[in-house]
Amino acid sequence: MSLKKNDEMDHNAWLKTQDLTVIETAFLTTLIWLDKRLRIVDYLELLETMYYRANLQMPKSHTEQYDLDNKFWYWYPLYSLGSLSIIAYLVAAVSGALLGFYYSPSTAGAVAQGDPTAAYNSIVAIIQDVQFGHMLRSIHRWSAQFMVAAVFLHMLRVYFTGSYKEPREVNWILGIVLIGLTLLFGFSGYVLPWKQLSFWAAQIGVEMALATPLVGEWAAQLMFGGFTLGQATLVRMYILHVFVLPFVVTALIALHVGIVWVQGIAEPH
Amino acid sequence: MTDDTTTPTDAADADRAVTDGGTDEEARTDGGPPATVPPDDETPTWTDRKERSQGLSRLTYQYFERSRREDEDLRAESTYVERDVLGFPAWPHETIRNLAITSFFVGIMLLVSAILPPHFGDPANPGSTPAIILPDWYLYWSFGLLHLDPINPELAILGGEKVMSDELYGLVAHGVIFGVITLVPFLNKGSARRPVEEPFWAAVGVSGVIFSVTLGVLAIQNLVPIELDLLLNLVFLLPVIGAVITYAVLKTLREGYMYDLNRRYYMLRPPK
Repeated sequence: MSLKKNDEMDHNAWLKTQDLTVIETAFLTTLIWLDKRLRIVDYLELLETMYYRANLQMPKSHTEQYDLDNKFWYWYPLYSLGSLSIIAYLVAAVSGALLGFYYSPSTAGAVAQGDPTAAYNSIVAIIQDVQFGHMLRSIHRWSAQFMVAAVFLHMLRVYFTGSYKEPREVNWILGIVLIGLTLLFGFSGYVLPWKQLSFWAAQIGVEMALATPLVGEWAAQLMFGGFTLGQATLVRMYILHVFVLPFVVTALIALHVGIVWVQGIAEPH
Repeated sequence: MTDDTTTPTDAADADRAVTDGGTDEEARTDGGPPATVPPDDETPTWTDRKERSQGLSRLTYQYFERSRREDEDLRAESTYVERDVLGFPAWPHETIRNLAITSFFVGIMLLVSAILPPHFGDPANPGSTPAIILPDWYLYWSFGLLHLDPINPELAILGGEKVMSDELYGLVAHGVIFGVITLVPFLNKGSARRPVEEPFWAAVGVSGVIFSVTLGVLAIQNLVPIELDLLLNLVFLLPVIGAVITYAVLKTLREGYMYDLNRRYYMLRPPK
């Protein structure tokens, strides 16, 4: 018995006996190299099992079984509103990430009341100096408007087609949470330019928070960084808008769509 | 520690009491209980798992077993024709359709943002309140709820004082609206789907939509050339009027459908 390692499964030798193209050889070599280290075959097998479990034969849907497509075709365009809001959300995310390179969340620079702050000036710079800056801001704002509009219309579609009924109650409630977060997204973004309307919208927010019994002052501290508006408010709104909400909303959207995937689309009857 | 001294006899007893298909001493893990994990080809059924567990996990397995059996019964009873084709293929049908929808929608957004760039107002000035404070359009309804203070009830017992501040009143209104919307699936049950099938709930929906619009008008009340009293009345009356009209229209539609159905029925089976 020799001490030399006996490689019963010499994949490379096997590879040489095959008559393969360059692409096939490169692919297999990479696969074998990775598999020896990470054992990806196991994971591929798991994926394959999941694929076949997910693709079991489904029963015919209601509209198919009774051949109703010709009667309810006019509902179908409304069924794209949910994905339209996701598309608008993605456009807003990309344009927002680009705007983030130029925006500075700071109230510094105002000598007297009513002077432009650093935040305000950075947006003026985006509009006036940055190439395509005005277009970028315009895209960000309009995609946000489109997203909110699509979300509201999506909710109306779900309501008027009765799609919230059993077993989809959980997704309806999740949708309400998502609408609330979308509005919060819009509100926090509205404050960021630190213009007159931003300031007074935030002022109303603080007054509303302070009017709440028991938790009001705590909520005002948490959301607005104090009872009067200033640097702390702007930074909190900024972090909310670019860090907290994107993660939370993206995760909830994934859950929302995942539940639709599992439960199936509620078709018109 | 004292248990360890009696190991020889106990181990012998344990060997005789093995219930897991003859796990021998070598198969034991360090310090743990005898290995109860069966060989790979014997995945335990829900029944096995149920018998091995206690308490809440036992209940869980009991339920799983029942629900699995229910599923199998339903499937056996079902008269559904299983379909051969699951849907349109992901490539090229679905992919191209989705790409078309996406690029169309993104194109519209780019077009609108190119021809209608947003206005950029004056810098913030904590010293001067602007004449018109407004959020974005999608929060008009919420801002309108904060303008409901003229109908904040006063109590004669409290000497005409308001029960809660006007701001809190607006907040409570938000809570009520979100609460009602959340409760919708638990109030409206049944398998009806189309508005025609449920004129009442469709009317509720239409009145909600109109209410959100009238609230938005209330939010910009100082731009609307209507007296506040009349405006407040309209805010609450218009949704009701819209609901009544919707209800009437849908009921009429339904009568029409029933008329058609009945006519076909009597054409097939004429009354004697």
